[in-house]
Amino acid sequence: MSDTTDSRKTLEPRHEYTVVSGEWQDLPEAVPDDLMVINMGPQHPSTHGVLRMVLTLDGETVVDNEPVIGYLHTGIEKNAEFRPWVHGVTFVTRMDYLAPLFNELGYCLAVERLLGIDDEVPERAQVIRVAMTELNRISSHLVWLATSGMELGAVSAMIYGFRERESILDLFEFVTGLRMNHAYIRPGGVSQDVPEDFADRVRLVLEEMPRRIDEFEDLLTDNPIWLERNVGVGVLGREECLDLGVTGPLLRSTGVAHDLRKIDPYCGIDTYDFDVPTADSCDSFGRYQVRMAEMRESLKIVDQALDRLPEGPVMVANKKIAWPAQLGLGPDGLGNTEEYVSKIMGQSMEALIHHFKLVTEGFVVPRGQVYAAVESPRGELGYHLTSDGTNKPYRVRVRDPSFIHIGTLPYLTRGLLVSDVIAAVASLDPVMGGVDR
Amino acid sequence: MSDNPRMAHPDTTAEERGKLIEGAIDVQLSPQLAELRDHIVEAFGDLEVIGFRGELTLVTPPEQVTDLLRFCRDDPDVACELLADLSGVHWPGGVHQRIAQETTGWPVYSDVVEQGRIELDYILYSLTHHHRLRVRTFLPDEEPRIASVTPLYASANMMEREAYDFFGVVFEDHPNLTRVLMPEDWEGYPHRKDYPLGGVDVQYKGAVVPPPDQRMY
Amino acid sequence: MGLESKLPSGILLTNVEKFVNWSRAGSLWPATFGLACCAIEMMSTGAAHYDLARFGMEVFRASPRQADLMIVAGRVSQKMAPIVRNLYDQMADPKWVLSMGVCASSGGMFNNYAIVQGVDHVVPVDMYVPGCPPRPEMLMDGIVKLHEKIKAEQFVERPRKGESMEDYRRRTGWIDPDPVEGGVAVAQQRPV
Repeated sequence: MSDTTDSRKTLEPRHEYTVVSGEWQDLPEAVPDDLMVINMGPQHPSTHGVLRMVLTLDGETVVDNEPVIGYLHTGIEKNAEFRPWVHGVTFVTRMDYLAPLFNELGYCLAVERLLGIDDEVPERAQVIRVAMTELNRISSHLVWLATSGMELGAVSAMIYGFRERESILDLFEFVTGLRMNHAYIRPGGVSQDVPEDFADRVRLVLEEMPRRIDEFEDLLTDNPIWLERNVGVGVLGREECLDLGVTGPLLRSTGVAHDLRKIDPYCGIDTYDFDVPTADSCDSFGRYQVRMAEMRESLKIVDQALDRLPEGPVMVANKKIAWPAQLGLGPDGLGNTEEYVSKIMGQSMEALIHHFKLVTEGFVVPRGQVYAAVESPRGELGYHLTSDGTNKPYRVRVRDPSFIHIGTLPYLTRGLLVSDVIAAVASLDPVMGGVDR
Repeated sequence: MSDNPRMAHPDTTAEERGKLIEGAIDVQLSPQLAELRDHIVEAFGDLEVIGFRGELTLVTPPEQVTDLLRFCRDDPDVACELLADLSGVHWPGGVHQRIAQETTGWPVYSDVVEQGRIELDYILYSLTHHHRLRVRTFLPDEEPRIASVTPLYASANMMEREAYDFFGVVFEDHPNLTRVLMPEDWEGYPHRKDYPLGGVDVQYKGAVVPPPDQRMY
Repeated sequence: MGLESKLPSGILLTNVEKFVNWSRAGSLWPATFGLACCAIEMMSTGAAHYDLARFGMEVFRASPRQADLMIVAGRVSQKMAPIVRNLYDQMADPKWVLSMGVCASSGGMFNNYAIVQGVDHVVPVDMYVPGCPPRPEMLMDGIVKLHEKIKAEQFVERPRKGESMEDYRRRTGWIDPDPVEGGVAVAQQRPV
């Protein structure tokens, strides 16, 4: 344990200790009586999930904040090494559980780049991917709004946020069959086509949503209590953000219009007409404004996607990769269509073997390493996939934005009061599934 | 394994495993990245450059990593303000074997690697020029040590802790090198290839299914 | 625990039992213990569309001392397991545990080093709700079944304070469905 005071920090603590693991029990004697070390979490109603913060307080002001994470570590990255490439989608989708389609999309983009079939993914699949992920962005921001509101005391925001989210989850269930953790986006396209009245149902939601977002803004944006709690809280300037590796709404709240959808586009998303909202205040309120504006931009993108939805297949044509099932809605539910079953069981032995091989072993991906990133609601979600030329990944490494953002907590919360810490963490919007993977 | 009579297939070489499937396209480096590559190679002569799938990768020995990253950050033409990712891959020594399946003849290989290595990849991103590049280095398996880049990029703090946690790489001069995701008293480095997946057998009505890393398929 | 300790054992108090169980089931307050994806579905279940408050779960109490039901929603990692146990011990009797989702019930799809294969390795579970994640209706079904289980409880079957597992099992006459002989499960083993 060492006693250091570092001149680059803005708030000058009277004593500052650097404690490494194994030395926490020595801390109480060393810390003078006027500093209090308090543990916040991992079970806490106001931290976003199982995040533990060890706060060193001078009265009510935070002198230091050490985040302790790992309470949700699932070993997804290692688990994916023992499953074929397609099964990786179901693992990876459960990391950032508020934006599952983004996880799937990033993984599939990386697999497609390794396979070399980036350009062969059909247009219809690309447009469906864009529409679904932008809807997911809206639902993720709604959960952020709901939980932030609840943590700061605006419990109505919680109820309204989840109500709006239900309409979007209904859409997801309509298309993929699941409300959350859909393994919908697969390498090569999407697993099944959207139903016929998809466009109509989405338009119903798109009509309602702007009014609902207006309701939120009426409740919160000019609310003096909301302003008091959010303006000036959790300030992280542009240089600090870049140094700390921060991307996403936090970086955009410092005025930098950095959005991977415009700069490093995927699925043709740069051909859609939308703006990248920014704010200048670098604080929690700026992030609130950025996210509300992003929700409206996403509505625009979904609208354009529905307009341009072309006809065609939704899975890549290359038979060595494409998921072989031909799904249809029958009398007993969703499953392979009658004609496909009769073909593989009765008519063609090759088709049966092909289906069997692809479903049990999966396709083979050439050797190499690729990094593919998407703009998730939290920031840059990157996938670093290494293949050794077999049907299972060699290493799946996920660059999750929330993990990097947790590293900013000591700087974000220094000098704040304890309740401001909650507002700052809420504006960070960490999802512990992504942090701990 | 190889003494299984049904697995009568030759080992595939690394080159064969790298071949693209029919109809796929290998993306080449864009002109912007090619220019960037030339600029960096001019300054650092002995770099190995890889342009796989249109992504620029620079392979460098561990001692040179800090200098290269500092150059990439400070040079106005490269200007990588953001360290996006630091990831590790373990290539263990000895016979490196992978079997696909009992049922088909899909690729099986057994490479012999003399010295196990841990590969570290630093992904750098530039906001001014909108380009991304990767700096790769290889550390020996036994006692991987490398200088920390926290003085250059504060985001490396959490990422290096994770590399330490999962691979055992010791970053010198790191302010707080402790385990970040595993419990603090955990032994072993989970993402190494010699660390088992650690699952349990699943029993149901008399049948037993072993955990995924011990199955035949 | 409160009432059971005050009554001498062996006296049948059917009507009192029924009344007490009805009041316990009717106002079962859950503890906020959402871990992962299932937590979001639990929040959705408590929100306006699938309202849980109509089943008596009016508020999610943050403090375990004020909660009756711990809904373990999400995967329990090795680091989190002692905390789950800690929270369970802090809850006041009578308390119930509902394991929501497959990760809490059995480890789910994550059969690896990092996840406890079923939260029943850590706390005793009263109701298992499968699903990944379970739909709100499934969770409500599990809760309603738990209510019925609570209403059918007898005082003598509630665990007593300080009682060990063996004593509890002996007292209530529990039969092991999967007997273990010499450390090896009796079920016939054949590899797949």
